[in-house]
Amino acid sequence: MNALKAALQNYRASEKDLDEVFSDYEQLYEDAKASGKTDEEVWQMLGKPEEVAHDLIDTLQLKKEKNIKTKIIAVMPFVSLIIFFVLGFYQNLWHPGWLVFLAIPMSAILLQTRLKDGVVALMPFLSVIIFLILGWGFDLWHPGWLVFLSIPVVAILLNTHIKDLPIALSPFIAVVAFLILGFAYNLWNPGWLVFLIIPMLGILKGKNIVKVILYELSFLIAIAFYLYMGYEQQAWGYGGLGFLLPVAMGLILGEINFTFGRLEGVERKKAITMVMLVILAIGLFLALGFGLGGWAWAWQVFLLIPVTAILLFDKFRLTALMPFFAVIIFFSVGYFFGMFHISWLAFLLIPITAIIENA
Amino acid sequence: MNTQFKKGIVEMCILSILSKKDMYGFEVIDTLSKEIDVNENTVYPILRRLTGQGLFETYMEQTNIGAPRKYYRMTGLGKSKLKEYETEWRSFLEGVFQLLGGSTHKS
Repeated sequence: MNALKAALQNYRASEKDLDEVFSDYEQLYEDAKASGKTDEEVWQMLGKPEEVAHDLIDTLQLKKEKNIKTKIIAVMPFVSLIIFFVLGFYQNLWHPGWLVFLAIPMSAILLQTRLKDGVVALMPFLSVIIFLILGWGFDLWHPGWLVFLSIPVVAILLNTHIKDLPIALSPFIAVVAFLILGFAYNLWNPGWLVFLIIPMLGILKGKNIVKVILYELSFLIAIAFYLYMGYEQQAWGYGGLGFLLPVAMGLILGEINFTFGRLEGVERKKAITMVMLVILAIGLFLALGFGLGGWAWAWQVFLLIPVTAILLFDKFRLTALMPFFAVIIFFSVGYFFGMFHISWLAFLLIPITAIIENA
Repeated sequence: MNTQFKKGIVEMCILSILSKKDMYGFEVIDTLSKEIDVNENTVYPILRRLTGQGLFETYMEQTNIGAPRKYYRMTGLGKSKLKEYETEWRSFLEGVFQLLGGSTHKS
């Protein structure tokens, strides 16, 4: 019933029609059960909600509110312009009066999008408003720009299954933690270690508890070794060798061998490519870190791993790749040019790509 | 069989069984599915559409077991529509049998 309700609401059926259809379906359900039909037979009799909703389209009256909503959206540019002039001429508030123009896209999103999609689409605008309030009001441009991370975070929160949330959110949590450690405490190294929460959370999804514990332990030992060598012996470089332990663990446990042995042809080549890429990324990261002191930005090479995995194993979709490109653009423009207050615009590429690709 | 074509036939069958007596939703589905191989989930949308077109009217009747039931009753418009369908259908079937019979003779 809930699925049918959701399907019918997609067609913006009037409340009267919805009530009537639900009442009829409840009756059908009770009569079918009373006749001795099994749940499966009743389910078959009532049909799939989406198909039923589709069949019912021409019997439904569209909501009147739709017309009212359309009118509000159509009128909004003029209303905004009038408010803008009133604020400007009478209160001399040309700035920040221009903010009223944000009401144009926001009203369209609020009135024409389903709640969940609407919240995701509204986040860029809400972020801009909060950012400007923090900036103008409290001179907190930095770290006020962090509010823009809420754009991808909210999209992930609302679109990801609860059990996958920690992994999906881990890159953003890591970025925020890394930037705080870097800017506030100048701990770019060993602050980059926070990115290890991404593979460490991913490993927790494994089914074999012994392997999970061994992998996690290998990471913890590697981190402890790295910190010990760095702080106690002033030998960060040698400390980095500790990260060979998780790689060795993979080989010892036969995970990598097993995968290669089982796969054939193209799949085998893809798996080998991925392992090579992981080793290459770690090597490149350490080289950039030690060679150029690039701990603050070299972590971005790790984003090549999920990007390559998507390219190799999924159908090519720019929407799936865009979050990673957006993070790279956002961080690089922000870090190298000191423009975090502008570079957040890169996150807009995510919904824009999704809209263009799904249109 | 073509889905649209089948839906048209089911529509006519619904008109036919409701011309005999008033029925509630599940009764219509049950009666139909006993006689013909019908996709049960298409029946309610058809019932609702035909009601919307004025071929049926509905009324509620109290039952012994629980909430009142919605019954469908054929209107005058429904009766004339059924007659129209029956005439078209018989003439169509005659034509089809003629063709089928003709092809049997040839082979």
